[in-house]
Amino acid sequence: MGIEKSKGYRQVLKWLKSGKRKPFQFQSDAWQYYAEGYSGLINAPTGFGKTFSLFLAVVIEELNEQAENSIKLSTKKGLKKSVKSSKGLKLIWITPLRSLAKDLARAMREVCAELELDWQISVRNGDTTASEKLKQKKQMPEVLIITPESMHLLLAQKNSSSHFYSLRCIVADEWHELIGSKRGVMAELAISRIKGILKEKHPERLLRIWGISATIGNLEQAMEVLVPYSDLLKIIVKADVKKKILIKSILPDHIDMLPWAGHLGHKLAHKLLPIIHKSKTTLIFTNTRGQAELWYQNLLALDESLAGVLAIHHGSIDYELRNWIEDALHSGVLKAVISTSSLDLGVDFKPVDTVVQIGSPKGVARFLQRAGRSGHSPNETSKIYFLPTHALELVEAAAIKEAAKTQQIESREPVVMAFDTLIQYLVTLAVGDGFKEEEIYEEVKQTHAFQEILPSEWSWIMQFITTGGNSLTAYNEFKKVVKAEDGLWQVESRQIAMRHRLHIGTIVSDAMIKVKYLGGGYIGMVEESFLSKLKAGNSFTLAGRVLEFIMVKEMTALVRRSNAKKAISPSWMGGRISLTANLGSILRKKYNETLDKTHEDEELDIVFPLFERQAAVSHVPKSDEFLVELIHTKDGYHIFAYPFEGRMVHEALAALIAYRLSRHTPISFSIAMNDYGFELLSEHPIPMDEEEIRTLFSPAQLGEDIVSSINATEMAKRKFRDIACISGLVFQGFPGKYTANKHLQSSSALFFNVFTDYDPRNLLLRQAYEEAFYQQIEEPRLLAALQRIQQSTIILKRPESYTPLCFPIKVDSLRENMSTEELGQRIERMTVEADKKNKKNKA
Amino acid sequence: MQITCRGEILILSKERAIYWPAQEMLFISDLHIGKPAHFRKHGIQVPSTIGDQDLTRLKGLIEQYHPKKLLITGDLFHHQLNSDITVFSQWRATFPDLKFLLIKGNHDRLLIKDYKDLGIEVYEKELICCPFRFIHDRPIAEDEYYTISGHIHPGVTVYGKARQRLSLPCFYFGASYAILPAFSAFTGLSILKPQQGDRFYAITPGHIVEV
Repeated sequence: MGIEKSKGYRQVLKWLKSGKRKPFQFQSDAWQYYAEGYSGLINAPTGFGKTFSLFLAVVIEELNEQAENSIKLSTKKGLKKSVKSSKGLKLIWITPLRSLAKDLARAMREVCAELELDWQISVRNGDTTASEKLKQKKQMPEVLIITPESMHLLLAQKNSSSHFYSLRCIVADEWHELIGSKRGVMAELAISRIKGILKEKHPERLLRIWGISATIGNLEQAMEVLVPYSDLLKIIVKADVKKKILIKSILPDHIDMLPWAGHLGHKLAHKLLPIIHKSKTTLIFTNTRGQAELWYQNLLALDESLAGVLAIHHGSIDYELRNWIEDALHSGVLKAVISTSSLDLGVDFKPVDTVVQIGSPKGVARFLQRAGRSGHSPNETSKIYFLPTHALELVEAAAIKEAAKTQQIESREPVVMAFDTLIQYLVTLAVGDGFKEEEIYEEVKQTHAFQEILPSEWSWIMQFITTGGNSLTAYNEFKKVVKAEDGLWQVESRQIAMRHRLHIGTIVSDAMIKVKYLGGGYIGMVEESFLSKLKAGNSFTLAGRVLEFIMVKEMTALVRRSNAKKAISPSWMGGRISLTANLGSILRKKYNETLDKTHEDEELDIVFPLFERQAAVSHVPKSDEFLVELIHTKDGYHIFAYPFEGRMVHEALAALIAYRLSRHTPISFSIAMNDYGFELLSEHPIPMDEEEIRTLFSPAQLGEDIVSSINATEMAKRKFRDIACISGLVFQGFPGKYTANKHLQSSSALFFNVFTDYDPRNLLLRQAYEEAFYQQIEEPRLLAALQRIQQSTIILKRPESYTPLCFPIKVDSLRENMSTEELGQRIERMTVEADKKNKKNKA
Repeated sequence: MQITCRGEILILSKERAIYWPAQEMLFISDLHIGKPAHFRKHGIQVPSTIGDQDLTRLKGLIEQYHPKKLLITGDLFHHQLNSDITVFSQWRATFPDLKFLLIKGNHDRLLIKDYKDLGIEVYEKELICCPFRFIHDRPIAEDEYYTISGHIHPGVTVYGKARQRLSLPCFYFGASYAILPAFSAFTGLSILKPQQGDRFYAITPGHIVEV
């Protein structure tokens, strides 16, 4: 059926024409496929109207239906008067970020107004007011723009299923952002439920599920994850358009201007100023919130004329403030905004013509995503500057440029078998309308995340939420999910239901406390642990302001403005991002080119003197070489190794090597790593030659050796922190809502130990280990790295002191321990050392 | 491990208890009986075996030292009556000759009658037993008595060469007061910062180590 002939299509085309626009090929393709009943995935660069490719498809369908109805109406005159169109939710639009929602709603409302379509478009997420939610409950809008978390909250309401009876389509926007996380699993589960509800009520209706994704390495799989259903037709619609991107590094005049290690990059700040002044509006991306705060202070100190036109935007800043900044970005009032990933995605700020990335973006996909924030219109060029924070990052800049040119973009691996998320989901359903076990089991089993769930695992989970654990003894007191008289599993306790609703979500952070002026007005939030270190009168920065801490009252930190010159920046805990395998391999290639001078990258010319220095004191590894440095300092005996595989792989690799080294003689190591290599530090010398290194890095018995390395427990314990929160064992505090009953306080580490000792077959415990193995340790990647090392020439050097390559690792503060010594023995030895030190100090 | 404090000999056990031979008294703190059941009641899955394990350990200590009195410096029970406490009550009955003394802690909220039924002598605030004062949380002001308290679940971090570190539960002995480790395994730690003249006895699975 040719959609072109339909009334709705012509209406939309006419409207586009009136604005001197015409649809891109991929857009009209998408409309056609949608009309034919397909589900699938849209892949297009930003700025080419991805939103319209799906939103208008649903609009066309609506317009066509209205037209049909009015024909029917005219033939059956006067029989039915108000067949205009059925009210109710037609389209659910899932977005990963709150800041996207407002913008989307604005664009959609414009379309509806101009097409004279009487549609309500609402936003629902953590920022939505209670009154708005109540309004939605009474009458659902036609289009709901929602986060995965809010979708689950919706399912946790009583009588929620009736909301979905007239639904036609679910769109997962920025699907590439969701797919690699447990939020993606949340979306998968919510979709499976809504599909199930609709199927039961209206089996004749077709629910279409579409995703929108930027380019990633595994688009095909991304679609399968979102639409795993065999009863749906599916297709990937790719836009045949290329976005022009200009990448430029901000270079130091001389390599000595840049430090060997560090993550701030203030030394080059003055070079950023001309770029800001030259551009209309600049977005400056940093990797952490703390870094953003520091850069804000720093830029203002350098150039006072920026006061008032420079803003800061990150997830810990109050909603109202963020809103104001986003509006100001739209209207072009601001000259520059410093931001973290909170402005990463799809928001279309027209005045932004320049983007700056401070420090390594760690991956090609993320970098290109950020670049796409500038020059948003189809034919404009995106301009991005890279500002290195330490010398070696210049090589990364060259590597990213190459990857962007050759389109070597990473895959995003979907999360599977996240039992914690499933537990949370089942309790969510039990808090809502309740669920039938067989029905939900079938639905869950259809999702990509749980297609391999075993009946035994399912029954363990059911036991876990109903009787409290896999144990023969019935715990009389345990009350969470109970079977009601109608056979539905439900949560009866209002207290448990309330607490559960407060904790829906899979993003786990430390307890956060809201920060408020004494005279009123919220500024944002900081971690409780940070606040606990402050005394009244201390100053800190938040949202770019210097604030004096007064006191904590009712779980809110009260502050006043401060004139202090020096203030501490809070550090928000956040996972450190690791270099991707993809970027790692290009990076190794760039090391070759620097020395051979077979390149056209200005970055590599600048970094050349540093490489000469490294070559003089040690060696610069080529891509077919593997460098190990042995250095003896007053700290102890260091082994530095450089696989260039990213922080996460190095963490596992370091533990593995430490384990293998200590297999024969008990020994303890302290371990540090960065994206380039890792360090093992011991107080005893470790004799080693090239052949021994090859054996140490052998892929043989990799699996068993990882299991034996103590680190697996430590890693699993860290993974368990999130798992305990998501599955409802531990409650994280909520800003302003910190009601956590003291008598229910506990920690994830405690639960980890308790389960290990008393319930070793706990599935959540197993999940922690599996997450550690596949996400953290990345066993397949580890194996590939070891195999590569086997093929390489091993270079062993014994430099006199720290080298340019090892220095950034050495100063890294995050350290791990690895030991095969018996605990008591270790403490005794450590104590003796401490004693000696004390005596020495006294003497 | 045997130590001397204000002239009295005290035996520190790695099972998180102290035995005072002169008074034939065993003292422990923060048993938190009923905590697992209390958590379960609120929909948090905690294995019940953990509570049993605590009582088994305590039984072992009683059989090892044969004390006349067992003193608990607070937080014997975590919250209100529940099935864990029923188990405790049966366990308690197997030691008819042992006197149970409890200094009330912030968690101890049972009725006077309930304590009586369980055969526990309750002290609202403190118990003076020269040269010691037993109390749940240590008072701010100092006097002639050496205070022994619990409440905070003390832990100590041991640092070693090559930037190694470990956190362990411990006994703390300061200039004017001491703090007992929490007896229950289902408790967290609050790490203390050493001051001049402090003694820390870290508890490892094998034995006790002065650090």
